Amino acid sequence: MTRTIHLSLDINGERRELDVEPRVTLLDALRDHLALTGTKKGCDQGQCGACTCHVDDKRVLSCLTLAAQVEGRQVTTIEGLADENGVLHAVQSAFIEHDAFQCGYCTPGQIMSAVACIREGHAGSDAEIREYMSGNLCRCGAYNNIVVAVREAAKAVSAPARMVEVA
Amino acid sequence: MTIMEPRKHGDASDGMIGGRQSRFEGSLKVTGAATYALEYPAENLAHAILVQATIPAGKVVSVDKAAALAAPGVLMILTPEDDFGMTVATDWGGNRPDNQPYYPLPRDVKYNGEPIVAVVAESREQAFEAAKLICIRYEAAPHVASIADPKAGEGQVMDNLTTKWGDAEAAFAAAPVKIEGEYRTPREYHVAMEPHGLTAKWDGNELTIWEPSQWSHGMARTYSEWFNIPYEDVRLISPFIGGGFGSKGGALAHGAVAAFASRKLGRPIRLALTRPQNFTNYGGRAATYQSIKLGATEDGILQSIIHRGASETSTYATWPEQTGAATPILYKVENFSSQHRVVPVNSVTPGALRGPGKNPSSFGIESAMEELAYKLNMDPLDIRLKNYNDFDRQSNKPWSTRRLREALTEGAEAFGWSKRSHAPRSMREGKTLIGWGIGCGTFPVIQAPSEAMIRILGNGRVEVVSGAIDMGQGTYTILAQTAADVFGIPVDQVEVHLGDSRLPGAAIAGGSMLAGSILGAVHKAATAARDELIGLALSDAKSPLRDTGANTLAFAGGRITPPRGEGPSLTLPELMAALGREQLETTRNTLPDGASAEEQRQAWTTMAKVQGPTMGEFSMHSWCAHFAEVRVDEDFGTVRVSRMVSAFDCGRLYNPRLVESQWRGGIIMGIGQALLEEGLVDLRNGRTVNGNAGDYLVPTNSDIPDIQTISVGVPDYNASALGGKGVGEVGIVGVAASIANAVYHATGKRVRDLPITLEKLI
Ligand code: FES
Ligand code: FES
Repeated sequence: MTRTIHLSLDINGERRELDVEPRVTLLDALRDHLALTGTKKGCDQGQCGACTCHVDDKRVLSCLTLAAQVEGRQVTTIEGLADENGVLHAVQSAFIEHDAFQCGYCTPGQIMSAVACIREGHAGSDAEIREYMSGNLCRCGAYNNIVVAVREAAKAVSAPARMVEVA
Repeated sequence: MTIMEPRKHGDASDGMIGGRQSRFEGSLKVTGAATYALEYPAENLAHAILVQATIPAGKVVSVDKAAALAAPGVLMILTPEDDFGMTVATDWGGNRPDNQPYYPLPRDVKYNGEPIVAVVAESREQAFEAAKLICIRYEAAPHVASIADPKAGEGQVMDNLTTKWGDAEAAFAAAPVKIEGEYRTPREYHVAMEPHGLTAKWDGNELTIWEPSQWSHGMARTYSEWFNIPYEDVRLISPFIGGGFGSKGGALAHGAVAAFASRKLGRPIRLALTRPQNFTNYGGRAATYQSIKLGATEDGILQSIIHRGASETSTYATWPEQTGAATPILYKVENFSSQHRVVPVNSVTPGALRGPGKNPSSFGIESAMEELAYKLNMDPLDIRLKNYNDFDRQSNKPWSTRRLREALTEGAEAFGWSKRSHAPRSMREGKTLIGWGIGCGTFPVIQAPSEAMIRILGNGRVEVVSGAIDMGQGTYTILAQTAADVFGIPVDQVEVHLGDSRLPGAAIAGGSMLAGSILGAVHKAATAARDELIGLALSDAKSPLRDTGANTLAFAGGRITPPRGEGPSLTLPELMAALGREQLETTRNTLPDGASAEEQRQAWTTMAKVQGPTMGEFSMHSWCAHFAEVRVDEDFGTVRVSRMVSAFDCGRLYNPRLVESQWRGGIIMGIGQALLEEGLVDLRNGRTVNGNAGDYLVPTNSDIPDIQTISVGVPDYNASALGGKGVGEVGIVGVAASIANAVYHATGKRVRDLPITLEKLI
């Protein structure tokens, strides 16, 4: 039998235990072992951005990250973005409002990138948003609306917290 | 002119047909809760992967699998030695050979990358590891790598694609002004963000397939024919599809392998193609070339068009990418001749990719028209208006609607075309050359019969049930709007169930035919359900509306009332409760009355009943005009599209918000086609060199400017029951030409082979 290792991961604020082969990526661990399928696999080679998650609040490509690398760190996926009452994050609401997706397959990765893009302070202009959102491919071509959604969400996020909840 | 701007806040009318309702399934998609094919759990799942041929043509002599079989976790290895016991299924044209065996892992290699061996293991990682231990010996045969291979030859003329009227040769010879050019497009790929793959599971003799599908019924039919089991015993489930663009319309060899392996092993099997395999295991758009000759008078009236085109196909099937598809209908010309050839090469059979045929065809004729305009020193807008096509000379039928003139003039107005300076290289900002170009596009209106069920529940909710699919075009949303409209209820009182071959039959989501087809069926079923409810409400002894004396009822604002408001007014749940009904179910289809069960099956699972654009009294098409601005760095030859305005005639728009998104998506793919996308083939071995998402370049966010879209259409009730024409394909058609034309205007260099990369400009 192939050797497995035991991992104890912090995902969306929950402790998750799993036994996997050491070569299992964070992406496959989420999708195939933890039933968190919101994170998408578009290429499995670091080329498309569909698998974008946050590790310690920074965006990472989970297909290029081994599950074993994130022990002791905080992983956030698309499933962990809305608050505990299910109120959507401002970026999620903005994506619906501005029709920033079609098939929806790149969308979780776009949204995780957008949240980080705003947090990094890279949503200052449309040109900057385009540049810092370019690691996430969208073959449906929702780019115009993604830019609008990120721009509008950035305004909402920088507004007082009460406003964010309403959005 | 209507410039469509997304409205900030919705109102009730957004939920009706034609309203700007936001995406029905939106919250599922932004929270990760929308479940795509590979995300369904299956107990005791095993994983299959494919090993591909490394030669372009020849035979598999032997497969040494001993070491791989002994590797950890390996459960089974399938090779060309295995008896699959499968039979060839019906093809696109509806033809099926009798009892011909089907080998999804063939012994004869027809292209580099063809799947030859499948490895099944407990985990995907183990399967990949084991695959490295497999040793395949081949006997190589001579091959033709691509259309550019000197051995490719001329190919075969497709007689059904030969068109001619008048005397094009004589008129060209006599024309005072002539231009001539050869235009080329490379292999292009879908690159849907969701890779192909499936989970297959058998329960006894019943097969369940979770696979992204543009056509749940057609693909279920293929699986049933492969395994010689009744159609009813196959269930294909596909409620969400991560993009298709033409690639997910049919079942493919890897699906056959997974389903066979699952039956043999007695466990569910998941087989996910790798991203590189998405470039080899099904075909993208074929490479094309076409020569075009235009003859005109001194004042720019077209006298003759002579078109000769060719496209790659495989050595085992004929798939024409019809370079002459748009050429005969865009302009008025009395002498026309067009011919298309297919050139067999050792590649996977090409397939349909957004705007099949029309797209490369438009690149040719729209480039050539601007070449003619510059030769005549004429404005490219004027030459198009001057040669405006008043009826379809190919079919000799009038247009149902054709607002291409409005698209051209309103697009030009919004773009600011009148401020253009005509001479090439005459517009610049410092070292940046600026150019403007136009490209027109068209796509036929195609329809197929469909069926839908409406279920009114006791709690007042209305369900729309159909096997149609939504890959992002907006099927969920527009079907919900249709039901909301008919019952006068808010959209959130509607539920929509899609993407399952066990549900009522629907047209393929391809050729832009689904919306028109399925909306007709849903509207018919919903109207019938409403009529049935009215009948009950006016006749049932328990109904409070029975004694109002009304002979019909109005459905609006969530209430059901007698027409002039006399008598009681009830909500849907109140009426259902009064009638003592748990539910009311109504199914309707758009086949002629009395169609047999077999005819119905044939209608949803084959192309036999598809209605083409000229099968009725009219010639029916969508139309568009793209206006592009490019900025070219004079020193480096880099091209950026800095602005696009595109005006469309797609008839009535069922949901403008979603339509604009689809148009932009097509335009963006067209920008990729113009500047980035090119499948490269190694001539030595027929290998796809850049088959991955990093080397085959598709547009990123920073490649794309703001794109303004304009609707100039009017409802076309000849084209469809509710007045719409196709939306999804036409957006890309003409984009590449508009950019090539803008690049010429900026630089004075005419690039006739796509993509327009910098080495072609410096
Ligand atoms: S799946 Fe990770 S970048 Fe594509
Ligand atoms: S929404 Fe389909 S790939 Fe982005």
